[in-house]
Amino acid sequence: MASVHPKPSRSLTRQVIASINTGSLGVAIGFAITAAALLNPFFITPFEVLLGRTLFLSMFLLLVFVASQRLPENRLPAWLPRWLFAVIAVGLAAPLGTLLIYIVAVGGRVSDVFGSSPRVTGFVITAGTALVLGLLITLTAQLREREARARSQALEFELERSRLEKLALDAQLDLLQAQIEPHFLFNTLANVQALVESNSPRAAGVLQSLIAYLRAAMPRLQEREPTLGAELTLVVAYLELMQMRMPDRLRFVIDVPTALHGQRFPAMALLTLVENAVRHGIDPSEVGGTIQVGARLAPEALHLWVHDDGVGMAEHAVPGMGLANLRARLAAFFEPAAQLQLQQAQPVEQRESQRGLHAEIIIPTASTP
Amino acid sequence: MNNVSTAVSTAVSTAVSTAVITAVSPAVSSAVSTSVGTALIADDEPLLRDRLAALLHKLWPELQVVAQARNGREAIELFDEHEPTIVFLDVHMPGLSGVEVARSIGSRARIVFVTAFEQYAVQAFEQGAVDYLVKPFDETRLAETVSRLRDRRAPTPPSNQELEPLLDALAARLRQPAAAPVHLQWIKASVGPSVRLIPVDEVIYLRSDEKYTLVVWQGGEALIRKTIRELADDLDPARFVQIHRSVIVALAQVAQVTRGANETAEVHLRGRPEVLPVSRSYVHLFRQM
Repeated sequence: MASVHPKPSRSLTRQVIASINTGSLGVAIGFAITAAALLNPFFITPFEVLLGRTLFLSMFLLLVFVASQRLPENRLPAWLPRWLFAVIAVGLAAPLGTLLIYIVAVGGRVSDVFGSSPRVTGFVITAGTALVLGLLITLTAQLREREARARSQALEFELERSRLEKLALDAQLDLLQAQIEPHFLFNTLANVQALVESNSPRAAGVLQSLIAYLRAAMPRLQEREPTLGAELTLVVAYLELMQMRMPDRLRFVIDVPTALHGQRFPAMALLTLVENAVRHGIDPSEVGGTIQVGARLAPEALHLWVHDDGVGMAEHAVPGMGLANLRARLAAFFEPAAQLQLQQAQPVEQRESQRGLHAEIIIPTASTP
Repeated sequence: MNNVSTAVSTAVSTAVSTAVITAVSPAVSSAVSTSVGTALIADDEPLLRDRLAALLHKLWPELQVVAQARNGREAIELFDEHEPTIVFLDVHMPGLSGVEVARSIGSRARIVFVTAFEQYAVQAFEQGAVDYLVKPFDETRLAETVSRLRDRRAPTPPSNQELEPLLDALAARLRQPAAAPVHLQWIKASVGPSVRLIPVDEVIYLRSDEKYTLVVWQGGEALIRKTIRELADDLDPARFVQIHRSVIVALAQVAQVTRGANETAEVHLRGRPEVLPVSRSYVHLFRQM
């Protein structure tokens, strides 16, 4: 994967120059004037010269600071946090910059700087002041930058939250629109008609299932807290209707502990997966298969699954609105940590061609009070 | 078409107002007039097969339902075995669809399509010369079809050449969404011991080396064996764009593009730290309009 390395888009120098703004320039000049005023009583050097030196020093420190902030992440050793790197850089730059000024002042010979004790005192005082003020400003600047970053992160988070809310709202709206496919309804009605005409005793039960399904699938506004138990009633009603239609091809097993029935659960979430299993797994298969609906409460998460051993999902199978919509509804109902995972079911030995689909909803326990 | 329906209305005493016509070949037609009719019912739903058989027995006692098929493949097998004169064909069946079965039968028998509410299909039928029943249908509606099937002076049937356009239209209309080419929808990737199905909607970017391609999606990362080239051909170009010999990115995930050295560029992603390279030959994709 490492074959493609992004190259830095601009040179560091250009980036550093570009990121010096009037604000930081102002602080640096203020720093220089303050330092010059502070140092004036201790020096016989005229104030203008002193100010020139502190100005040079402050500009130098500013450049070092900005460079330390803009150095690309991959050139910084992993063990060294950026703030510490900036402190060390400025800490080293303060005496170095001062030394540079003194060397220039005495005409280029280092021995001349340290040969005279007043110069050494001057050097120490200047460097010390630069160090103290430089570090103070470095730390303050970093603190402010961190705050700004936190603010922008909070803003980004807020944006993401409102985006999710919009998605959830869209999903809810979609849910309110026609849920019942005419194809499903008319085919089911044709079967009910057949049962009624043949005076089958099964007709009453099947009608019951159809009513339960229609009532649940009808567009509706807020009603009492939806539960997993209610969802299972809907799933069973749907599966019974489908089994009436394809008795030789569809079998189903529901295995959800009764203790979980009271769990709050978004309406239609399991049904969407079961309908998907019928549409993409069982219905296209001549031999059909078994749909297993199950749930298990693990210490860290609630797992719910719909498993089929039908033909499985083709790579080009258009998933329909249902699945994408379900992801949004899960994220809205629980929290974004709730997941929907689809995987190929392990192939059954005798029927190598039928691989089936395993769809699992995982809800972290923290979001299921 | 026009003179055909005139023929029907003069032939059938009970005026049939709809322009529905039954397909029949001359050879079959003479067979019907001399011998007892035979029928094959093909539907994957047993209750509906039984009901149709029962109603046919009531409305047309002489007709023999010689076989019932549960899917398209069985329908073709049983047709070849029994050679019935009439075939009731459910459009939607597992394996081979009713349309494909009709193609195989051609004009060797009269075909009556049976379908649940499917607007597109019904539109196709109304333009073609094949009878159809819409589920759930009642006895009266079936009686109309039966009376047309029993009519000895049935009009000249559509030939294979006339049948083909109808079947083509049907096949195209049943395959929804109509017309749009189907792009890759799922990426199958091994994650641990299982094969995950990653919806392409959630893919952020794809990056390859010589052997594998790394898929980065909202739920994680996985390696697949498909090459960037195969994926580039198969993904929806309206949503994915190749930006480098080894990188494809989802357009919706691009936060900004910055210019780099040597006429290259870099793609920054929404809410992610990765920066993706845009090589020189793909930079034009991001040139300002």
